[in-house]
Amino acid sequence: MNKNYFEIKNVDFSVGGKTKVKNVSFSIENEGDVICLLGPSGIGKTTILRTIAGLEKIKKGSIKLNGKTISSEHINIEPENRNISLAFQDNSLFPHYTVEKNILLGSNRNKEKSKKRLSLKEIVDLLDIFHILNKYPHEISAGEAQRASLARSLITQPDLLLLDEPLSNVDQSFKEEIQVRLKKILHQLKITTIIVTHDSYEAFYLGSKCGIILNQGLKQFDDPYKVYHFPNSIEVVNFLNRGILIPAKVTGKKTLENWDLGTIEGNFIKEYPKGSNVQLLLQPEDLEHDDTSNLKLEVVDRKFRGTNFIYTLKTPSNTLIPVFVHSHHIHQHEVDEKFGIKRPIHIDHIVCF
Amino acid sequence: MLEYIFNSLILLFSVLIFTFLIGTGSAYLVSFFEFPFSNFFKWALILSFAVPPYIYAYSLTAFFENYGTAYTILKNLFGEANYNESIPKFDGLFGVIISISFSLYAYVYILARASFLYQPQNLIDLGKNLGFTKFKTLYSIILPAARPAIVAGLSLVAMETLAEFGAVDFFSINTLTTGIYNSWIAFDDLAFANQLSFFLLLFIFALFILENLSRKKARYHMNSRGGFKQKQKIKLSGKKAVAAFMFCFLVFFLSFLFPLSQMMYWTIKFPENLFDLKIIDLLINTLYLVVLSSLVLIIFALISNYGNRVTKNKTLNILSTLSISGYAIPGVILAVAFITFIAWFDESIVKTYGFLSIKKVFIGSILGLVIVYFIRFYSLAFNGIKSGYEKINISVDESSYLLGYSKRKTFMNIHIPFLRNSLLFVFILISLEIIRELPITLILRPFNFETFATTAYISASEDLLEAAAVPSLFLILIATSFIIVTSKYILRDKDE
Repeated sequence: MNKNYFEIKNVDFSVGGKTKVKNVSFSIENEGDVICLLGPSGIGKTTILRTIAGLEKIKKGSIKLNGKTISSEHINIEPENRNISLAFQDNSLFPHYTVEKNILLGSNRNKEKSKKRLSLKEIVDLLDIFHILNKYPHEISAGEAQRASLARSLITQPDLLLLDEPLSNVDQSFKEEIQVRLKKILHQLKITTIIVTHDSYEAFYLGSKCGIILNQGLKQFDDPYKVYHFPNSIEVVNFLNRGILIPAKVTGKKTLENWDLGTIEGNFIKEYPKGSNVQLLLQPEDLEHDDTSNLKLEVVDRKFRGTNFIYTLKTPSNTLIPVFVHSHHIHQHEVDEKFGIKRPIHIDHIVCF
Repeated sequence: MLEYIFNSLILLFSVLIFTFLIGTGSAYLVSFFEFPFSNFFKWALILSFAVPPYIYAYSLTAFFENYGTAYTILKNLFGEANYNESIPKFDGLFGVIISISFSLYAYVYILARASFLYQPQNLIDLGKNLGFTKFKTLYSIILPAARPAIVAGLSLVAMETLAEFGAVDFFSINTLTTGIYNSWIAFDDLAFANQLSFFLLLFIFALFILENLSRKKARYHMNSRGGFKQKQKIKLSGKKAVAAFMFCFLVFFLSFLFPLSQMMYWTIKFPENLFDLKIIDLLINTLYLVVLSSLVLIIFALISNYGNRVTKNKTLNILSTLSISGYAIPGVILAVAFITFIAWFDESIVKTYGFLSIKKVFIGSILGLVIVYFIRFYSLAFNGIKSGYEKINISVDESSYLLGYSKRKTFMNIHIPFLRNSLLFVFILISLEIIRELPITLILRPFNFETFATTAYISASEDLLEAAAVPSLFLILIATSFIIVTSKYILRDKDE
């Protein structure tokens, strides 16, 4: 018996006759889970949401919700009969109704449902949109429109909530606060949600699982920690753009050797025969700064990121390596200066390709 | 044949030059400058739509003819004398040009003004920054940027000019349109009427393509939300303010006040005409035609637009595009073609199979009138509703489905309330056209069924101009009230 709450099996996602993402399979085990789909713009993330919502049809595979097939080659339940809510990225509010009326239009759905429903007041407080309730969509900012659209989706208490870049137009200063509130409310109401975003931090924070969509395929679907620390392909590494790959040779069960950095110790997440040549994933937090170390590399750039600096160091073989240093570190290194790396180098989990 | 073509071309080009100068000039002044009554002129200049060219022609003749209104004014001011020789005569081809130009320049005015209004302020600032004079900014920045809109306006003027029947007929000018009407009505020469129709349609076809091309380019001027920056109007003072005021006032006076006051003057001077006419009957007939035709047109256009939106069916799309080309075909050709078709169908199909003749059902009947109005004005209804629909993002429909609304409920609860203003606008636009329409009504109307337009035409063609004044005045007043109701849609300003 299939116990997954939501399941996609071998689906090709197409729009206008053009296949955007091929052979996708993933599932959401429990009702109330939140997952995120992460990928660059234009890759087909929105197409996936539109298809799940029933706005696009599929020719291959199947989509099941609560044990019932909602899309397949032969079945296509109309969007209005799915009880799936989609908050569009662009402003899809009804232009001739006020924000309040827009939100209330969604509240008539599923009146018979016994589970706890959000009142208008609760949702207005949650998203801080009281001041725009009586305004028309053309009178509010893009960020406010996005929050209003989110409110309308939340109030319907859907079986599945789909959010397409829900906070892309929300001011940075307000974004984190909304993320916290959104996570809390989704959890409280047990609303199963799929969020599409290109912001990896947002995905890692909101989703209990993250799917990485690249080059017409779902490349990895795992919990955020694993996606970040144990990316399963070079493509995923490049997309997350949080480290570099350097050549290394496996010298033992827990060691490998790099021409520039010398011996590196740690736990391999996958076994390699001694003597294998591999590409080692080096993330900015893997190396530690040590002024007293005799391993010195040249600083070619320094970025201030508030809580830390990211130094870009050049090795003798001209490889550029990123290194995090806490911003309260006693002194800063200028470009062209030498920068010490603590030895022996220890990496908690070694990822190689 | 050559005379018809020559006259039509002279008329066409002269009207185009006049309407360009009046329409673009007044649009430029009210869009970029602030001067006394500039806000009033902004909408007052569209009132000329209420005066069809044939009524303008009656006013022109009434005022300047021997012993006409001009003569009476001079006599009252300076006493009895032979003023007739010194009063200029605006008749013949020149009279037609003036009549059509003052009636139709508003097409150019509305489109040019909309284009000027949406021109980015920074383009104009750039001109200033480069040290351009106002005149250089006008001809090197403003006019080229508004060119597609102006060409679209001029194309509409051109189509209406080639289709114009009333004014041309009144001044007895042989153009393609009057040629078709006369060869068919007076000489029963259908072959010649068809030849003339072919040439007329050829011209119209060329204009139609030109207009479509320029319309496509005109989309360039549409701004997305937030991209519109209200232009800072230049405040004029002194002589410049007076000159701008005088220009706009003169255009307003000549295009609207002059024919209106002339018709009022005659109505008051010959009050017996007011009582002779069955005003209530005319009003009922006119409104009956207007309401019936508008409703039929709107219902079909609404269903067709909705079908296109929901099914995205290519065949339906092509059919819709074809069905809107009727507006380009002059009313007189449509009416003649309709009668010819019904007669042929009746003779070769209906009678052959022994059915009763259908001629009476379609010719000289309200049904026939509504059908031909439908062909002629379907594009107004279709495009008007289409432009309303284009403002509803498709994701709005999708959101509605996702909120559990069916397609029917989405149509009723989301589309219809949203399109309410567009539907009203389309209704009034069609009404305005039907009230002013002459050749179709004249040819296809039932026996003894008169409207304000046909009554005015018949009186004028019987040389009873003073009797034409009363229906003309009523026509102007009804059309004016319609225009005032829709002015805020016609002059859609983002800053208002």
